[in-house]
Amino acid sequence: MKKENDPITLEIIQNSLQAAADEMFAAMRKTAMSSIIYEVLDMGTGITDAEGRIASSGAGIPAFVGVLDKSVQTLLRKFDKPGDIQPGDVFITNDPYHGGVTHLNDLVLAMPVFAGHDLIAWTANIAHNSDVGGMAPGSLSGEATEIFQEGLRLPGVKLVTGGETDEAVMDIITVNSRMPDFLLGDVWAAIASVRIGARRLEDLAAKYGVATFNAAMKSFAAFGEATARAELGKLPKGTFELSEEQDDGRVFNVKVTISDDAFIVDLRDNPDQDPGPTNTSRDGTVVCAQMVFKSLTDPDTPANDGSFRPLKVLTREGSVFHAREPSAIGFYFETEVRVYDLIWRCLAPHVPERLPAGHFSSICGTFVGGIHPDTGRQYTIIEPQLGGWGAWEGRDGNPCIFSGFHGETYNTPAEISESRNGLFVDRMELNTEPGGEGKFTGGRGLRLEYRIRTNDGFLTAGYTRSRVKPWALEGGLEGSGNYVEVLKTDGSREVYSFVSGLPVNTDDVIRIVTASGGGYGDPKERDAARVREDVRNGLLSAERAAAIYGVTI
Amino acid sequence: MGRITRRVATDVGGTFTDLVCFETDQDTGASRIVTAKSDTTPPDFEKGVLDVLERGGIDPSGVDFLAHGTTVVINALTERKGVKVGLVTTEGFRDTLEIARGNRPDFFNLHYEKPVPFVPRHLRAELPGRMTYTGAERTPLDLSGLPAILDAFRAEGIEAVAISFLHSYANTAHEEAAMTEVQRLWPDVSVVASHQITREWREYERTNTAVLSAYVQPVAARYLRRLDDGLASRGFGGRPYIMQSNCGIDSLDATSRTPITMVESGPASGFWGAAELGRLIGEPNVLALDIGGTTAKCSLIENGEVRIMTDYWIERSRKSAGYPIMVPVVDLVEIGNGGGSIAWVDDFGKLHVGPQSAGALPGPAAYGKGGTEATTTDANLWLGRINREYFCGGAIEADMDAVERSIRSLGAKLDVGPDQAAEGIIRIANNNMVNALKLVSLNRGFDTRDFTLLAFGGGGAMHAVALGQELQVRKVVVPAAASVFSAWGMMMSDLRRDQFVTHLVELVDGAGDKIESTFAEAEAKALATFAEEGVGADRISFLRYSKFRYQNQEHTTEVLLPEGEITDARLDRITEDFHKTYEREYTYRLDAPVEMVGIHLVAKAEVGKLEMRPEPLGSSDAADAVKGRRVVDYALEGRHEATIFDGEALRAGMAFKGPAIVEDSGATAVIHPGNAVEVDSYRNIHVTIHG
Repeated sequence: MKKENDPITLEIIQNSLQAAADEMFAAMRKTAMSSIIYEVLDMGTGITDAEGRIASSGAGIPAFVGVLDKSVQTLLRKFDKPGDIQPGDVFITNDPYHGGVTHLNDLVLAMPVFAGHDLIAWTANIAHNSDVGGMAPGSLSGEATEIFQEGLRLPGVKLVTGGETDEAVMDIITVNSRMPDFLLGDVWAAIASVRIGARRLEDLAAKYGVATFNAAMKSFAAFGEATARAELGKLPKGTFELSEEQDDGRVFNVKVTISDDAFIVDLRDNPDQDPGPTNTSRDGTVVCAQMVFKSLTDPDTPANDGSFRPLKVLTREGSVFHAREPSAIGFYFETEVRVYDLIWRCLAPHVPERLPAGHFSSICGTFVGGIHPDTGRQYTIIEPQLGGWGAWEGRDGNPCIFSGFHGETYNTPAEISESRNGLFVDRMELNTEPGGEGKFTGGRGLRLEYRIRTNDGFLTAGYTRSRVKPWALEGGLEGSGNYVEVLKTDGSREVYSFVSGLPVNTDDVIRIVTASGGGYGDPKERDAARVREDVRNGLLSAERAAAIYGVTI
Repeated sequence: MGRITRRVATDVGGTFTDLVCFETDQDTGASRIVTAKSDTTPPDFEKGVLDVLERGGIDPSGVDFLAHGTTVVINALTERKGVKVGLVTTEGFRDTLEIARGNRPDFFNLHYEKPVPFVPRHLRAELPGRMTYTGAERTPLDLSGLPAILDAFRAEGIEAVAISFLHSYANTAHEEAAMTEVQRLWPDVSVVASHQITREWREYERTNTAVLSAYVQPVAARYLRRLDDGLASRGFGGRPYIMQSNCGIDSLDATSRTPITMVESGPASGFWGAAELGRLIGEPNVLALDIGGTTAKCSLIENGEVRIMTDYWIERSRKSAGYPIMVPVVDLVEIGNGGGSIAWVDDFGKLHVGPQSAGALPGPAAYGKGGTEATTTDANLWLGRINREYFCGGAIEADMDAVERSIRSLGAKLDVGPDQAAEGIIRIANNNMVNALKLVSLNRGFDTRDFTLLAFGGGGAMHAVALGQELQVRKVVVPAAASVFSAWGMMMSDLRRDQFVTHLVELVDGAGDKIESTFAEAEAKALATFAEEGVGADRISFLRYSKFRYQNQEHTTEVLLPEGEITDARLDRITEDFHKTYEREYTYRLDAPVEMVGIHLVAKAEVGKLEMRPEPLGSSDAADAVKGRRVVDYALEGRHEATIFDGEALRAGMAFKGPAIVEDSGATAVIHPGNAVEVDSYRNIHVTIHG
């Protein structure tokens, strides 16, 4: 090679890092056993530099992009003696108090990459595993008050030493799961993924030399930082504040201060941590702020460590956004999506060119389990739901896509669900309840009905944005709410937003209804032709067209 | 002179309609190639085909075999020029088409715009009736609402009806009944049911496929009918064969019924050509690369077989979820990197190449038609890789002033001189292509050192050696007449139909019978359809693939099954083949139960395929083909004085060393220093990297 650190070579290495992260993602997706990994893609892959700073991330879900660096950094603090980290090692953690960031279901695997004796990078992934033990099937229970009840804790340990799998650790992990075959398959998928990435990185370092490889990582981060700072310069300056009431009556507060060189999110003034499992770790809260920051500053390029350098997040230990060990944390995601939406809502009126009105803004985590009537085997559905998104100037919101937390995530087809889970999907359609009207309307949420085919099944669900609806902008109307109904065979009907381990039996119908997004602008200003089109499409009644839009059909 | 056999391939592209005709003397084996080009003539594309025959001096009455490739389907889709479609689907699922899969690929962009369905909600109708995933009827189909639905469709000006019911992959009865009733009530309307195109599960993908097929059906059928009539009126005695996306050709009648199968036929013929050429020259493992004006496409061929898959999407990118089309399509990766791809510098001083293309107008700066942005072609000219005196085979005078301006202006943004800027363009373009080639090879566990890189299309040979060096392939082969290689591939194609059927079978005792009967049913269906078209069973051969996975997994690994009846006794060998294939791709295997998820049956029949005859190898002295010398900048290897060869003067047996350039009227091959070149008995160029 005639050149070393020329910009073209660095660019080529960076492209190759991105390709490696994508390849890790594809390998894991195709080999995983849990549908939440291979179909819902509740997973992420990434590459960090030797110090654990994120260099490149694969597809998947944005909420996992900022997780892996924090995990690797925790491992580096723990394994800090010479010889602790060797070629061929693979580490595993799932504990938010030990680098796991999210909750115990999410296993993080990380593999150091060496060039000769030099540690040059890490490859890592995170994925939601179906069951890691604990007090409830699926490991998530609304009743948990301590993390010990939520499954096996892996505080950053070696799973593979110099290429040899530690069978003892593997045994401990699998014996603690109610679904050991799934867990084993998923862990192997994760090992394959970090190994494939490591091999690509070794090839890159061998080809271009370690110095050039490192220079490429650095310049990538510098590029991310330059992009972020340039865009930060374009944002409105000042301090913006918002207080928002939650479904349960608590009030969450945020204060965002934007200056020429910093973006400070202050979340210290918030309620004490909850006795239940809806708290989030500080790392988790930081990830949420990073997501909003990235969407504001540079939504177009993949994130790396530099992308987040101007961001500072202030939290108070012992608060709901900075839980203290050993607080339960299983349903962290509903709290994370709340703080994510809180920051978004706080800034939306000031940055309309990047931020639409509020969306259904809940994971709508739904867990249904029981016995498959045809195979006699246990089935467990663990899925986030689709919902409606908010409108913005010039465009109606998107119908039925995943929340801001999920990204390149896929719902489960009815045909596959009926085969795999042994229930009937009676309907899967748009939710046409009123809500989200405006000059531009919020996108429609989902109505999904599961008809249970065997007795003694269960339903667990945790939805927010049920009572306090998706927020509108510029005079639009707020969206509808998220909820789940159970229609019993005796004709009775129960409605929930949070429910844990509810028994369900043959021919009970679980109806999942997710919110439509918030509207944008005064409905009276909506183009009459579009109002008529809405009526024709069955999304709006003629009465409501007259009452809200002033359009007679 | 003996009897002459004439085989013709015509290909309708975006700008030009191409023709290649092979004339073979049956007695002597001597052959002659005629090529011709004429303008593509939208919207009456068949006119361009008749024009090009005339321009090539081909009398249709003397043609024995005619294959035809067309972009009419993909154009109708991407330009939204199909017809108004009404959808009839299962009660409770009319929104499947709009809900899609809910993914947000551009996930930090909160203004993401979900693709809009091809059928609006008020034209999506429901009928009661359900099948289960095993194919059992849960609720009978109630057709009583259909007349009212069709009345509404008529009033709306619907021209095509798509039918898609849940679990029709497992039991087609409801879809068939609904289809018959639609045809009875409304004989003039075009109608398609999802099971006619695919028998695989996933209702959104299958429904969208049926809808898109209905959307293009009247347009494509009209086109094919006019083509057929036009050829017949000029005396053509046979029926044209139509190139498909699965690397095969199919009859005009079959194609007219579900024309969506043509959607990606453009690249398919070239990749089939690569597989056939590989077999001919004893290189069964081929990495095939096709570089055109706006994109580069690549595909991997293992043991002479192309890989055919059904997870194909249009308009899908990092920015959009796109639209799935569940038809058999050759497994390929396409990137926006071709000769006309524009090089640009972003706000942060980083150089990119593509995916924007200068197109045919203004085209690269060198065209002198007002293009001011540097393209890959301009960089190749600036570096001396393309002959500025023989640009586009001498048809266009290269505007080198415009090239220099465009490259200097790009260099100024990067703070480098023009040479370095041009080298940068080539290196970035090459890197984009290397990453695409890795996606089809290394990413799937194939070692590129076991493969031959075969490069064709206008730009393939220009970049192939640099890419081959990076990937450490066995060697690089540039076919004779690389610029019309796709048409050659079309003439080498068989009549081919790929059937995919979802059928879940656990690999336990009794599975052998179940698998065998699934194949037997599919084979009987294929034989029956071929028989209707006059193709006898003796001419048909089958390849049986199955898709397997470990129990509880979702994604499958396809494995070629051994020939002969499948019995329980053979399950062990089949299972082991799956374990091996799986381990190669994913680095590990599991001690877990294995299940078959479905079958993939390939039915092939030869119809008038071209037979190539080798020439004897002559002297290795290539002096007669030398047309000069010039300085060429090889980017990474710097500047060297290269020998320039006339590609049309190369003869079997000639050999020479790099640095060199081989140019003919359609393509330029860049041979790097240290490479050794040999011309084989079909006049293909073989480049050994370290000669």
